[in-house]
Amino acid sequence: MIGTNHRIEFDPEKCVGCQMCYKACFVDVIRWDEAARRPIFKYVEDCEHCFCCMSVCRRDAIRVIPDHESEHLLQHFDRYR
Amino acid sequence: MEIKKNVLSCDVLIAGGGVGGLTCAIELKEQNPALDVMIIEKQFAGFGGKANKGGGVLQYFQLDKITPLDFLRFHVNEIGCFLGDQNVMLKYVEMNHGMLDKLSSWGVSVPKNPDGSYNVMPTGPFTAMIRVELDITLRMRQRCEKLGVRILDKTALSGFYVKDGRIRGASAYSILDDGNFYTISAKKAVLATGSQNYRFGSMWGSGRGDGIAIAYRAGAEMRNAEFGNFSQLVRYKSHHEVVFGENNMYNAKGEFITKNFTDHRQTDIPSTAIREWYVQMMAGNGPVHLEFGPPPGGAAPEKKDPPDLSKMSYGDKFRTLNWMDSQSVDTDFEVVPSLIGEQSCIRTDGNMRTTVEGLYAIGDCSYCGSGAPGAVPAPPGRNRGSGILNAVFAGIVAADDLAAAEYRDPEPIAETEINESLDYTYAPLFRDEGYDPKEVIRLVQEAMAPSEYSVYMREDRMDEAMKFVDKAAAMVDDLKASDMHGVLSCHEAEYILLSAQMHYFASRMRKESRGWFLREDYPETDNKNWLKWIIVKNVNGQMTAETEDVPIESYPVKLPE
Ligand SMILES: Cc1cc2nc3c(=O)[nH]c(=O)nc-3n(C[C@H](O)[C@H](O)[C@H](O)COP(=O)(O)OP(=O)(O)OC[C@H]3O[C@@H](n4cnc5c(N)ncnc54)[C@H](O)[C@@H]3O)c2cc1C
Ligand code: SF4
Ligand code: SF4
Repeated sequence: MIGTNHRIEFDPEKCVGCQMCYKACFVDVIRWDEAARRPIFKYVEDCEHCFCCMSVCRRDAIRVIPDHESEHLLQHFDRYR
Repeated sequence: MEIKKNVLSCDVLIAGGGVGGLTCAIELKEQNPALDVMIIEKQFAGFGGKANKGGGVLQYFQLDKITPLDFLRFHVNEIGCFLGDQNVMLKYVEMNHGMLDKLSSWGVSVPKNPDGSYNVMPTGPFTAMIRVELDITLRMRQRCEKLGVRILDKTALSGFYVKDGRIRGASAYSILDDGNFYTISAKKAVLATGSQNYRFGSMWGSGRGDGIAIAYRAGAEMRNAEFGNFSQLVRYKSHHEVVFGENNMYNAKGEFITKNFTDHRQTDIPSTAIREWYVQMMAGNGPVHLEFGPPPGGAAPEKKDPPDLSKMSYGDKFRTLNWMDSQSVDTDFEVVPSLIGEQSCIRTDGNMRTTVEGLYAIGDCSYCGSGAPGAVPAPPGRNRGSGILNAVFAGIVAADDLAAAEYRDPEPIAETEINESLDYTYAPLFRDEGYDPKEVIRLVQEAMAPSEYSVYMREDRMDEAMKFVDKAAAMVDDLKASDMHGVLSCHEAEYILLSAQMHYFASRMRKESRGWFLREDYPETDNKNWLKWIIVKNVNGQMTAETEDVPIESYPVKLPE
């Protein structure tokens, strides 16, 4: 997916700096801030709403909020309706 | 950003740390601990691939009830439609139980019954499945580390050094903004970089055809490039896939339309279901929806308290979150097709050797190229649970060959060659201005996404699709990035474009319909003229194609009289 508008909420207070979300993101949305020991959600425009980061976090520090309307399947559905 | 040149060497370089790459590394080290094996992975090995995003089922063959030849016969007739390399498929079936035993010995939890047999769910006369946790690749990464495999994460392969048709090493770069550029001298190399999914469906994001394009540029032959157009029914709003939804399709008039393309339950979605959707929509009978009889298979669970996610395993939480998401926006079961792609066309022989000496390709990047499945796109390939095990199979087969191979020091890589590769890798960063890679990717998506372009094909519609492809091709040499995440996107845009070019190049050539491959203008299967593989190749920068007869006479399952 490109050009999406999914959102990610992150609670740094709950986070314990385990790096699992950083490793789990398979499209490089999440980078790691070594000094703060916290993830940076740097390229959210590339998020694919896969929920992997949210699923690996044992501290409930991440919430992925998909915006499905921003995902385009380019099937020209309306042409066929 | 300052670019730092690093020079490394190893015996076997594996690009891609998904289940295929990890299998090959483990098997190699177990067979020959002295070999120096290195994995480079553009995200994180053990996390980045597809095996932890899926349904989590492994294919199982009940070999006490059927023989491998029984399954082969079924597959060749129903799925591969005589286009497969039957010897490779047969070997895959024969190795089924051995592969499960190996996975168990590597720390993967493959559920067993109290009597020690595997806990199997039969799914049909020829197939069965084993449900596994989604941590397979994490366990395998741990095993690799224990065995001394070197792993470079966040490091993307960008090219090979080849001389006289023989591999000498590879170039790679860190996708973090640390400036690390690697020249890796390697005696052998293995591509395990996954398939091409055109950056489309959400769980298929890692398949961007890197290895396919890099092998093509290095001169490797491609096979079955026209079978990279897998498409699936997804829910209209959430775009979540509905596996087996093809059995329950209805149009807006309430007519059961599944019966228009099949009179029996298929092993998995056929492309004729996608065609049926298109035909119904064109006739003004849309939208298409699914209806499930009682009990509601796949429908919403009864209203209960919200599930307690905190106590769930990764896999359960992942599946529950995806399910809750789709239920929250899709209030009915309207479905539409979504392209998944799965182009996997690097040509290999039965030992997973490509046509470049010393270069192997395994798993999703060479599924169709290996010839094994025939006329069907990469895993699931209408053969659920075969994706993970195909990658394990190919990894083991390649490792067997590599363990017995002769290792010679590769010819050194000259500084001029290194600089050339470096310039190519970072070009989007050095350019003052250029196009956004996403513009190119979107154009390719416009060419590949409509089902009537890429799945239910016709010459004039392919011409239309090619206009988008050609427009993208005119832009691709002038892409601009401002950081390394952007550089990766630029290279992926090149790979995505090349896959679409190969898809239409080969699809226009195949003037018939066969298995998954459907042409409105050539609806019949033509065994007389088209029992052939299309081989696509890069000759001095030009895409060329030739055909090769499928040696059907030498295979166990012959054409019907
Ligand atoms: C949603 C979904 C559900 C599925 N369900 C099942 C199932 O239930 N059962 C089943 O058997 N199969 C299933 N599959 C298929 C199965 O997961 C795949 O066939 C299998 O994991 C492929 O393994 P692989 O190692 O060949 O490729 P991948 O898993 O795609 O791994 C390729 C790796 O290479 C890396 N890479 C790519 N380019 C580069 C580069 N330039 N440099 C370095 N590294 C690179 C990627 O980041 C990735 O980690 C499913 C797939 C998906 C997406
Ligand atoms: S997984 Fe959760 S706890 Fe761990 S680093 Fe990420 S946000 Fe923090
Ligand atoms: S939802 Fe998936 S793509 Fe989005 S940030 Fe999390 S892991 Fe990455």
